[in-house]
Amino acid sequence: METALQTRVEESRNELIQLVSFKLEHEEYGVNVLKVREIIRMPSITRVPNTPHYIEGVINLRGKVIPIISMRKRFNLPDGEISSQTRIMVIDMEGELMGFVVDAVSEVIRIAESEIQPPPAVVNSAVEQECLAGVINQTDRLLFFLNLEKLISRDERHLFSGMM
Amino acid sequence: MAIECEDQELLEGFLTETAELLEKLDDDLVALEKAPSDTELMNGIFRSIHTVKGASSFLGFELLVKVTHKTEDVLNRLRRGELEVTPEIMDVILEAVDLVKLLVSDIKGGDIVERELDETIGKLLPFLSDNAKEATVLKPTAPATPAAAPEGQVAEPLPQESAMQAPAEPSPAQETAPVKAATPPPRAQAAPPPAPRDDKKGDDLTDNSTVRVDVKRLDDLMNQVGELVLERNRMMQLNTDFHGGSDETSFGEEFGKLSKRISFVTSELQMQVLKMRMIPVEKVFKKFPRIVRNLARDLGKEVDLLVLGEETELDRSVVDEIGDPLIHLIRNALDHGLETPDERVAAGKPRKGNLILSAAHEGNQIVISIKDDGKGVDTEKVARKAREKGLITDEQLAAMGQREILDLIFLPGFSTKEKATDLSGRGVGMDVVRTNIKKLNGIIDIRSEPGQGSEFILKLPLTLAIIQSLLVEVEGETYSVPLAAVLETLRVEEQEFHTIGGQEVLKLRDSVLPLMRLQKIFNVQPSERSRTACYVVIVGVAEKRVGLVVSRLLGQQEVAIKSLGKYLANLPGIAGSTILGDGRVTLIIDPAGLLENSDGSGGGRLAA
Repeated sequence: METALQTRVEESRNELIQLVSFKLEHEEYGVNVLKVREIIRMPSITRVPNTPHYIEGVINLRGKVIPIISMRKRFNLPDGEISSQTRIMVIDMEGELMGFVVDAVSEVIRIAESEIQPPPAVVNSAVEQECLAGVINQTDRLLFFLNLEKLISRDERHLFSGMM
Repeated sequence: MAIECEDQELLEGFLTETAELLEKLDDDLVALEKAPSDTELMNGIFRSIHTVKGASSFLGFELLVKVTHKTEDVLNRLRRGELEVTPEIMDVILEAVDLVKLLVSDIKGGDIVERELDETIGKLLPFLSDNAKEATVLKPTAPATPAAAPEGQVAEPLPQESAMQAPAEPSPAQETAPVKAATPPPRAQAAPPPAPRDDKKGDDLTDNSTVRVDVKRLDDLMNQVGELVLERNRMMQLNTDFHGGSDETSFGEEFGKLSKRISFVTSELQMQVLKMRMIPVEKVFKKFPRIVRNLARDLGKEVDLLVLGEETELDRSVVDEIGDPLIHLIRNALDHGLETPDERVAAGKPRKGNLILSAAHEGNQIVISIKDDGKGVDTEKVARKAREKGLITDEQLAAMGQREILDLIFLPGFSTKEKATDLSGRGVGMDVVRTNIKKLNGIIDIRSEPGQGSEFILKLPLTLAIIQSLLVEVEGETYSVPLAAVLETLRVEEQEFHTIGGQEVLKLRDSVLPLMRLQKIFNVQPSERSRTACYVVIVGVAEKRVGLVVSRLLGQQEVAIKSLGKYLANLPGIAGSTILGDGRVTLIIDPAGLLENSDGSGGGRLAA
């Protein structure tokens, strides 16, 4: 009871941010809602040859062609079945849209910025350190706060072309 | 004096028509100068000016009638062979046409300004007297015109641009140096033409807020809209039936059919509208012959302008943006690139220089090139000037290759001229080029060969370009091959393939065609079903030919190129993507890229 009260006091002092939380393998992650353009079901994906393995291909998003990245493949997780829960999160990456395939999108949560703790030095997550912006430790769950822009590093964005 | 015209529609019609006639007139007149015996062309010109005269007298634009009437008279004499086409006559006629343009733009602006017509008309008159041939020599006004007339017209755009840009940057624009020592424009420093005209106004007769569309395209569009209306009616009917209690299975079936048709019609519609945005680059190119002619006369140089690929279609927005940079590049080529006839002869080249302006689609880009056979860019001089002006440091220079040094000319404030002339030397032009091209996400490439000439290549993306393509299937995946590159297609049995030095080839008639299996290049999962027959699509890039092995040909389709975005740009062998009628994305093959890769360059297009 007291902790709950405390949290509320904290919240009022801190800016609230909204996260879209999604599941990957058995863990839960969150990205800033402002970066998420939309969440769609899996459409038919056109494979693009000679790209890194985690590029699933491209899709037609209402007349715009956008690349799709498999989060599982990006983080070297075992391939998952595409289920009715599978979603593509369309993210605005510095003006360019990109889609990320995740196991499921759960909800939009509001948290105070102070709740985000710096990521521990050694993380037991599949996610690489640099994309991890923080950890949100709530009583009933643990969320990894991702910085997706770091996911595709600057080099990679342009190096796609060079990879054969 | 405001214009009072009862029939606004009539006036607008007159303006549109006249603007078009005048624009064409420029081009035709320059062409006529080159081919004076072309009676067809001569008559066409005569008709145009006659039409303008007729229409303006009908609408009561007295000033316009006066000028066109005299011009027509001179043209008539030329037509009847009483006069010969000389550069002097052309100068005067062009000047008259400019005056006509100015008057028309006045009318368009809604105000008739009293303008000084007598001077231009005075220049026309000598050619109307009986001893007109002598008049060109004897009358003092006539020889004076070549210098005066082009100056007012051509030099104008630069000052006005520099006026906009120069104050913004405290560039050392004034302290300029001659580029290639020997070419200060040998122009008579004639007094500025009396009554300096607002020539920019005259240039902008064609209005970009209105679009002219091919009637056929408009008809197609109307058809599509008609179909869409039909489908909508069908949909409403279906809805009524459904609520009236028709059974669900037949509704589902009907609805499925309907949605397919609607999706088809709308995507066609989208394509049609997209096409209307596309205009041939000719719109920009057609004003260049005139510009080149005047510049060349101004600079005392002889030049042949060759324009290629003017039918290449570009998105409106791109066409609107490339005009300025191209003018700068052309001016540059003439002023800095080409030598004077005497210099050329001394260098063992023909007196007449060549300037080639070309446009072409290449992958998902449009490539516009301006090539001259002048003396090329003197990189040493460029480097020295840049250092003198403090644009770069010695260390920077030391680390630079030829290519980087060439790029220095794009720096704002850079100029190799000691003194700014009307034509160039303010150090603004190339910066304008760079800024505009950057705005369009384009690339500029310079190739320069000392003594052989230089070439400026603009590569502009054309995200909206529409191309004809051949859809092919590679083991279940669909790809699209630009039809422009396809020479022929063959159905062959795989046992007809041969292997020479590890390279699969096909003996085709009397040649040996190297083969590329798209299935291997694109790492497509081979299907279980083995088939012995396949198709070979023979594509050509420059002088090279190669056969692409595919499983099936699906047909031909006009597709709009969509970029794959920044992250997937420059994939080797892939020019872009397109969305098919069913909404699926299909990749467009870039034959040039494929061929480059097959050369073992490894780095793909990046290496180019």
